[in-house]
Amino acid sequence: MVVTKKNIETKERPQKASKPTIKFEGVCKIYKGNFPALEDINLTICEGEFVSVVGHSGSGKSTLLKLIYAEELPTSGEVYFNENLLNQISKRNLPFHRRNIGTIFQDFKLLPKKNVFENVAYALEVAGILDEEINENVPQILDIVGLGDKMHKYPHQLSGGEQQRVVIARALVHAPTLIIADEPTGNLDPRSSLEIVDLLMKINDLGTTVILASHDKDIVDKVNRRVLVLDNGRVVADQIKGKYKSV
Amino acid sequence: MFLTISRTFKEALKNFTRNGWLSIATVSILTMSLFVISVFFVVTLAVDDVLQNVQERVNISIYFKSDVSVENINAAKADLEKFKEIKSVEYVSKEQALESFKNSSIAKPIIMQALDEIGGNPLWPSLAVKTTDSRQYELISEYVKKSNFSTDVSSVNYAQNKENIDKLNKIIITIRKIGIVLGLLFTIISLLVTFNAIRITIYTHKNEVEIMRLVGASNSFIRLPFIFEGVIYGILSSVVSMILLVISIKLINIYLPSVTLVSNLMSIYSGNFWSLLGGQILLGSLLGIIGSLIAMRKYLKV
Repeated sequence: MVVTKKNIETKERPQKASKPTIKFEGVCKIYKGNFPALEDINLTICEGEFVSVVGHSGSGKSTLLKLIYAEELPTSGEVYFNENLLNQISKRNLPFHRRNIGTIFQDFKLLPKKNVFENVAYALEVAGILDEEINENVPQILDIVGLGDKMHKYPHQLSGGEQQRVVIARALVHAPTLIIADEPTGNLDPRSSLEIVDLLMKINDLGTTVILASHDKDIVDKVNRRVLVLDNGRVVADQIKGKYKSV
Repeated sequence: MFLTISRTFKEALKNFTRNGWLSIATVSILTMSLFVISVFFVVTLAVDDVLQNVQERVNISIYFKSDVSVENINAAKADLEKFKEIKSVEYVSKEQALESFKNSSIAKPIIMQALDEIGGNPLWPSLAVKTTDSRQYELISEYVKKSNFSTDVSSVNYAQNKENIDKLNKIIITIRKIGIVLGLLFTIISLLVTFNAIRITIYTHKNEVEIMRLVGASNSFIRLPFIFEGVIYGILSSVVSMILLVISIKLINIYLPSVTLVSNLMSIYSGNFWSLLGGQILLGSLLGIIGSLIAMRKYLKV
């Protein structure tokens, strides 16, 4: 259930043409009283892929991601996660769905009154994981993101890059099948940004599917993997191996 | 399950201490409500106690003329015992009446002397009637006056007792009414106050709740801390209220020792300690839980 350093390292890189993790079929999303945020989206993201979603702000990137972690439901069309339809996900099942997904945001969303260890442990506590397991797994994950020595610091004592690595550790600690990163480098300097992207690529190399939303050209070019370009709520380009493309 | 409860309870404790003054204010108001309600409860019990005592002690006395035979009195006794409203009928002979008179406090030496002068026994034999309900006294008195032994009866004594009993009955009813109105009022105020406290906790935890949901916390894990916070308010308030209650009773005993009603307050308090505490904890927690449920319904969308 929980990732340990050992089983991350032994996970094999998945083969191409593996089963779809996410599938959008004719998805539209219209927020109340607004123009459509997403229109007629059809796409498939397979296990082990690294997908960069690019586009201007307001192009629908965040909405696309929110549909995946079921923060929003589509107005029409279907969203599948691991072949389960998310349209009618019940309040009861939503937490279990979320535990399959690690989320990373521009504004970190760390708990300010908890230290690094507690912040990461929190994701396990809410899932009812036993203390012994938490005490064993959290330090290992923090080692992986390079914060093993800062376990007892509080978020305000860390740099932006370090805080984001705590968030990544928290996202990873569930051993999710998917990591969603919505502008994870938005608040970071270029060097920290590259470190974060390196870390995401390393996580992807170990088998976890990653979806990265960004409008940073350098970042997307560095990743040099599948790029999905959104404009005005539509997919205008989908390249298997691509660079950032301005529209 | 146990893990969830212990973790969310710890979270609730943290929220409680972190809110500081707000928690104190909330507990104060809740304490006041519980205190007012329990004061009326204790006072009602005390007055009830007195009333019961009076009812036990007083009864209708049917005095017979001195020359009426024991057989006739026993016949009247049997007649009265047929009423199911009558709890007991006791025959008090002339001699017994004299005996108890001599033992009673009104028997001053000068009166005793006068009795000796007269020689013989000037008292009447009587029947002491106890009923299940003081309101029956008048009916029984009426019945006695119309009955076939009415010619043997010298007098029926109940009026004085009736007045006392009616007064006590009225006092109890008034106390209960005031207690219910004030209790309801304070209950509503405490509901509003706990609602407000939890609302503010929810507000200060807005970001945390969002994070909890993102990392896959279940609804119960998100909601339980707020419910427990309400329970903590309730339990703490009832303990404080119990302490206040015992202090007030002690003070009353020191400054108003002469009031007969009050002398047995302490024994009522200690006799009902657990039910008082339990009732308050139950009511306090219930108010806390309802307050937080309303707050969550309005402000916590999960």
